[in-house]
Amino acid sequence: MTFRERGRSMRLNIKEKTFIRRGAAVAAVALLAVGAGTASNAAASKAPTVTINVAALIPGSTKAAVAEFNKQIAEFEQQNPTIKVNGVQYDWTGPTFAAELAAGTLPDVFTVPFTDGRSLGEAGQLANLTSYVKQLPYYKEFNPAVIAEGIDGKGQIIAIPTAAYAQALQYNRQLFSQAGLNPNDPPKTWAQVEADAKQITQKTGKTGFSEMGANDNTAGWILTTLDYAFGGRMETGVGTKAKANFDNPQAVQALQMLKTMRWTDNDMGSNFGLSWGTSNQAFAAGQIGMFISGSDVYTNMVQADNINPSIYGLAPIPLANNKNAGVLGGGTLAAVKPTATPAQIAAAMKWITFFYMSPLVNKQQAIRNAQTLVANKQPVGVPELPVFNEKQYQVAQSWIAPFINVPLKQLAPFNSGIFKEKVIPEPEAATQAVYGDLDSVVEDVLTDPGANITSLLQQANSVGQTSITSANSGS
Amino acid sequence: MSKTDVMTPRLEKLDPALRAGAAIRTPRGLALGTPARWVKRGGISKLLFLLPLLFVFGAFSWYPIVRLVLMSLQHTNLVQPATWVGFSNFSAVIHDPLFPIAVRNTAEFAGLALIFGYPIPLIAAVLMSEVRRRRGLYSALAYLPVVIPPVVAVLLWKTFYDAAPNGVFNTVIGWVGISPQPWIQAQHSALPSLVLESTWANAGATVIIYLAALTGVNRELYEAAAVDGAGLWKKVWHVTLPQIRTVMLITMILQIIGTAQVFIEPYLFTQGGPANATLTVMLLIYDYAFGNSLGGDYGKAAALSLMLVAFLAVFSLIYLRATRSWSTH
Amino acid sequence: MSTFPLRRRQRRADGGQQALVLESDWRRPSVRWGLGTAHTVLLVLLVIIGLGPILWLAKSAITPTQDTLANPLAIFPHGIDWSNITTAWNQVDVGLYLWNTIVLAFGSLVAQIVIATTGAYALSVLRPKYGNVIMAALLTTLFVPSVVLLVPLYIEVVHPPLIHHSFVNSYWAIWLPEAASAFNVVLMKRFFDNLPREIFEAARIDGCGPVRLFVSIVLPMSKPILGVVSIFAVLASWKDYLWPLLILGNTSLQPLSVRLPAIAAQTDLGVFLAAMLIACFVPIVGFLVFQRAFMRGTGLSGALKG
Repeated sequence: MTFRERGRSMRLNIKEKTFIRRGAAVAAVALLAVGAGTASNAAASKAPTVTINVAALIPGSTKAAVAEFNKQIAEFEQQNPTIKVNGVQYDWTGPTFAAELAAGTLPDVFTVPFTDGRSLGEAGQLANLTSYVKQLPYYKEFNPAVIAEGIDGKGQIIAIPTAAYAQALQYNRQLFSQAGLNPNDPPKTWAQVEADAKQITQKTGKTGFSEMGANDNTAGWILTTLDYAFGGRMETGVGTKAKANFDNPQAVQALQMLKTMRWTDNDMGSNFGLSWGTSNQAFAAGQIGMFISGSDVYTNMVQADNINPSIYGLAPIPLANNKNAGVLGGGTLAAVKPTATPAQIAAAMKWITFFYMSPLVNKQQAIRNAQTLVANKQPVGVPELPVFNEKQYQVAQSWIAPFINVPLKQLAPFNSGIFKEKVIPEPEAATQAVYGDLDSVVEDVLTDPGANITSLLQQANSVGQTSITSANSGS
Repeated sequence: MSKTDVMTPRLEKLDPALRAGAAIRTPRGLALGTPARWVKRGGISKLLFLLPLLFVFGAFSWYPIVRLVLMSLQHTNLVQPATWVGFSNFSAVIHDPLFPIAVRNTAEFAGLALIFGYPIPLIAAVLMSEVRRRRGLYSALAYLPVVIPPVVAVLLWKTFYDAAPNGVFNTVIGWVGISPQPWIQAQHSALPSLVLESTWANAGATVIIYLAALTGVNRELYEAAAVDGAGLWKKVWHVTLPQIRTVMLITMILQIIGTAQVFIEPYLFTQGGPANATLTVMLLIYDYAFGNSLGGDYGKAAALSLMLVAFLAVFSLIYLRATRSWSTH
Repeated sequence: MSTFPLRRRQRRADGGQQALVLESDWRRPSVRWGLGTAHTVLLVLLVIIGLGPILWLAKSAITPTQDTLANPLAIFPHGIDWSNITTAWNQVDVGLYLWNTIVLAFGSLVAQIVIATTGAYALSVLRPKYGNVIMAALLTTLFVPSVVLLVPLYIEVVHPPLIHHSFVNSYWAIWLPEAASAFNVVLMKRFFDNLPREIFEAARIDGCGPVRLFVSIVLPMSKPILGVVSIFAVLASWKDYLWPLLILGNTSLQPLSVRLPAIAAQTDLGVFLAAMLIACFVPIVGFLVFQRAFMRGTGLSGALKG
């Protein structure tokens, strides 16, 4: 229920990450050297076998994908004869993850979204990987904002980012054309968004701008995105000093805008319970002109919603003229169970490097994975944020250029514009709970014409403060 | 209890070797006595037959009840060991701003369900009991929604409740000139929409229960009423309803208890939204226990569960006391 | 109301007439027209309300999604499309989830029958001295709604008290708790209480032990009640949602009721409706075939709760 569908985006990142690659040429050479060294070390020693269980593909994956995954395991075991790897079906959804965590049935290597990494680390649920990560040759190349997601309050690295995305403005190029708007010129300010939404509804009758309103944390997630885009923050301070800041003026501004679009312009459609997956579904069915979601949702639209590629357009989120305005980021972390033995942790790190990281930094691996993706009819080249830096991102794009099957020209506004925007991590304390506490504010504004925005935010703020406090007191 | 039950067994089917035999005194009512005597009297086989029941109930009924009470006094999140916290769980639940909302919504749901869903099955059953031909068709149609799995029913009605002007229900009410309704997309109409679907899915069972009860009404009472010159309406009011009043009272309390525990409708339709308009007590319990990806607060969930049980128990007792005089038989 | 079957025989004897509306009443035109119209109206309403949604589901399952979205109440504007059903079966893998549902229902049925028959037999026929204590303990559980036990049961399955192994993703964690139904036991016990004791005594004289008595005499005589309990066990299992949702995280083990909501966002509407139709198919067909048992069982349950 909580972030189940956002978890799906994360899962698909993993699935994709299996095959997508970017990387700096320098790092690639270094890694190849490391790989060669590992192989020769393994051949030389007669160490006892270590067995690790690793998160494999999501249930329901095609047989071809599963076969490919097993091939990768075989390759890894060949390079590391003392390590035995068992793939375990894995799927991060809020309630099931909590259940597996409690039951102790998680695999030794598993993935979690950025929102939960630090909290889990601070609760002692993740192994300390600091020494291993610092030994990675590309350790210094990590994007500081991204690696920060895997660092807990004490400065220990408890998870490794494997994929990152930024929020983006998704828009339907076909509806734009039909409404008389230029599909190559998406709105760059929120005033333009409002105007374009009105025009789309007037000319085509479809929803101009859609806002997620489902009661499963997605409503609060998108509201936070809007808040950041206007220059506000939902939390101030970090760690034990974190405080809820829901009633910041920018949040009021964002909700005012939504209220106008909903009740005055009436261009937000009639369904206010959309979540991550159902927004994608409705968009792919041609019912939505614009909406905000992660930059990587195209994968889900191709795989689950049978989208017609020609309608898909992606633009950076318009930012207000405020020095604090930025784009909310998110992503996936790979972590290791705290109960793993030191030998298992070492083996786990090797697997993480091989499976999650090498496609990002190794040209050969990257190309091979792209080929597999194409063969399985999955999208290649879906926009994401680099885990490392922009230069590497460009290099990676050049490697996979022959395999890219997403409509790159249609994604140009985002790909060129995102690097001019500041990417900001999600609220640090009790992230999911904070989103949940904000859900009802959005729903109220969208379903009650007389909603009092300020008092709603203030009420939610006290609830949010309780969530933050209880999360910090380790409950 | 009548011995000439329609379920009288067919003697011919029994093993012929065991059919004949004279009556014999069976050694019931003797004290257990010493272990040897107990074994001799078949104590072991009695125990063996009871063992499955004892195991299953012990493990999955009695133990959880005890555990529920204990957990409500502990702080449990399954990742760290449980600690005793006295009544702080109960206090936390009562002070949760969502608690009064959930209670109010649950009461509203139960109340609406009573208004919509209580008279209708009764009227339908009384009418159906007088159908002369193809009564089976009527009861089958009435009961059909009950056999549909609740998940399918809810998801189907979710499609019906599409708030767009060309949604199924909006199209239908458009035929009679009513403008499109938001159904589950607005706070004022979400809960009634849920009640409507719930009534559809559950009323059929109540109709059948009433039908069964109606067949037990003593025929002579009708004849006596007819002799007194009572018309159809009078007969229904003065004979039928009083005769089945026990069943009516039972179905009322059962309906209240059932709707107080409603979970699937708010969970699958709206997940408690919009803006907590459909948040019920069971949904709140679920959120406490399973709504947090970092691990639930099982102590609060247990505390609220216990409060729900206690409330229903007290309510039932008061109800049974108050209606005792009405249902004497 | 145990007089129910008795009345039925009586009714048949006098031509199926209830006494509320006598034959003489029916001859009066005001009654005939008034009541007749009421019955017709009721029948029409029942068809629209009871059957309507299911007919719409069946129609939409074989209609292309575009048509269902654009014009949901139109009847096959562009013809019939069976591909929804085949897609649901092949790609959405409805067959697997249907099988899981069947396995869960069957196991639940067996567990419930075993527990209810052995327990009721012991309490009713063998009558141990401590039987009343057990009966009282069973009756108290009737007052505890099963939903509130969800949380402690969940903890128990995830962290069983003595065994260091979680039973998450195990079908036993679904079958066994369902078998702990005091209602079934009480129902069975009442039935066994009604069986003629002379047969048991006769059998005992012939040297029949308790096991043989159970298997060869009591069970064969109990077919009707076993039928009722079976049907309701299967139906309850088919409809179960929250508990399997919590326990069966592994999607390849999940039954239809758990899987369908989870795939709603990823599945084309037409295919999804086809999957729902497949999920309804067994309960509806089962109901039509075993109608009598359903009605009898519902009537019994109402009587019992009284």
